[in-house]
Amino acid sequence: MEILQYALRKLLGGLPLIVGVTLVSFALMVYFGPDMTYLLLGKNPTPEQILEVRQQLGYDQPFLQRYLGFLREIVTLDFGVASTGEPVTALLAKTIPVSLILILPGFILGHVVGLLMALAAAYWRGRWLDKLIMAVAVTGMSISFLIVIIGFQIVLSSSDGLDLFPVRGWNSTSLGSYLTYVTVPTLATMFVALGYETRFYRSIIVEEMSRDHVRTARAFGLPESRIFFRNILKNCLIPIITRIMFSIPQVAIGGALLIESYFGIPGVGKATYEAIITGDQPVLKAVVSLTAILFVLVVVLTDILYRAVDPRVTIE
Amino acid sequence: MSAVALPEIPPARARGESLWRKAARKFARDRLGMVALGVVLAYFVAAVGVWLGWWAMGWPDLTGTKWEAVSGTHWFGTNIIGQDIFDRAIYSTATAFEVGLIVALVATAIGAILGGFAGFFAGTWIDEVLVWLMGVLDAIPFYLFVAAVAYALTDNPWAMHVAMISTFWVGTGRLIRGEVIKLRGMEYVEAAHSIGVPEVVIIFRHILPNTSHILLVQASVMFVGAIKAEVILSFLGLGIKDGMSWGLMIDESTKEVLAGFYNNFLAASLLMFGLVMAFNAVADALQDALDPRKVG
Repeated sequence: MEILQYALRKLLGGLPLIVGVTLVSFALMVYFGPDMTYLLLGKNPTPEQILEVRQQLGYDQPFLQRYLGFLREIVTLDFGVASTGEPVTALLAKTIPVSLILILPGFILGHVVGLLMALAAAYWRGRWLDKLIMAVAVTGMSISFLIVIIGFQIVLSSSDGLDLFPVRGWNSTSLGSYLTYVTVPTLATMFVALGYETRFYRSIIVEEMSRDHVRTARAFGLPESRIFFRNILKNCLIPIITRIMFSIPQVAIGGALLIESYFGIPGVGKATYEAIITGDQPVLKAVVSLTAILFVLVVVLTDILYRAVDPRVTIE
Repeated sequence: MSAVALPEIPPARARGESLWRKAARKFARDRLGMVALGVVLAYFVAAVGVWLGWWAMGWPDLTGTKWEAVSGTHWFGTNIIGQDIFDRAIYSTATAFEVGLIVALVATAIGAILGGFAGFFAGTWIDEVLVWLMGVLDAIPFYLFVAAVAYALTDNPWAMHVAMISTFWVGTGRLIRGEVIKLRGMEYVEAAHSIGVPEVVIIFRHILPNTSHILLVQASVMFVGAIKAEVILSFLGLGIKDGMSWGLMIDESTKEVLAGFYNNFLAASLLMFGLVMAFNAVADALQDALDPRKVG
């Protein structure tokens, strides 16, 4: 009950953020955005027709009124119709699941493998394994995501390489075809994430390892494994949770956009990319505002998780 | 009365080494950092040569036939329509520096000023508004923001720069805000207050200079970030509009790669990788050198 109250209060606290994001995206994409009048008109429109369409699009109304209309669309989840004639909500319902099953494996693997590599590096700090892992991490960080994608495609999918997987496209009707299509994108996302995650996790683990209470525990002769899990890893949980939670909105849009448009996968990232290129405002509006809401939810959820792992964090 | 031999006290200046001199000394001893700095300087010379018009001016010219192999006249071969890949790659180095430097410098300046104000006025409405602004900019997906800015500026060639600057400053702003909150409670700031130094002067003369080590590291991180973002944005058609860049070369090469011709792809990606890798190493070495907790 307490938690619920706390979550509600936090959600209310997130309102200014949502107002800000919608205000910025409204101003940039709609108010100062491209004039859609002539896209909706036939050839040689009469001045009356132009006026009518402008009225229909709300171009004759003042800023505030149009912004409130924009907000109403978000609250009612009614984003109108995409330029393809499909309702935006139907488009999202179709594409978001594809993006989720596409991105999740790489996201999880990137964090898990990164954490394991960081643990190994921190445990053997200063030794050759640490240096090797960190050298690999910095190298991985220095390669552009785009180059990684193309590189993996050449090596794994092209006839000059191993030719194991389809070059591009998507098919998730059966588990087998899903796995063949998801492998190359997953390896690419994992590879890119690995460098950043390993470095980040190593730095927080090393910091925890050098704390006084760890030294004391060691001096008291506690078993190394117990120190590792209870004194070090448990104290790392807060930055780890923060890292994972806050990368969710970024990965959901940023990562999927490039991967999906490159491999031609019909997820929300590709839909967004096409909307960007063609200036399809209803789709962009929906994606931006939903991402902002996702961001606020992530902030609230992260705060609740903090409380779950650290009793010192109070809900005050 | 015999003279008592007092121990000689060295003047304070000589004893206490300045942060920057100490950092320079530590940096000079960092062998990897020095090598990386040399690599970055070599790239910079290539870029300056392009700006002065010394080389790579023939990048748009058709000087050969389709997909020529590596030769004396075409060091990296030619692309699908017979342009010299080496010239295009070198010209793109200048583009990368242009984007990286402009974005890093402007975003660092904005981050320092806004972060400084937010930190100095922490607890007042000024801070709340600035923190809200940072939160809003963080919550908008980057690619969408770039697209939105490109619309609002009606395909202005600077749209990409503006979008990167308006999002990149946030990270620096947050760091500077935290540091300034720490600094504003220090005695010398209190002393400045008590003798009536105006607040703006305190911020710009007494507080922000003490965050310059953070700014330097942040600027180098943003330089790399801008170069990497440019490649992806140009590939997506949201980046460089006229001119040539590594991102446009990679975009061009995706058609060639499927046909088994890799020169264009390799030239752009290896040159970019070299610069980003070297700059990452320089940023790391800088961070180590400027970290007072690490004994040099």
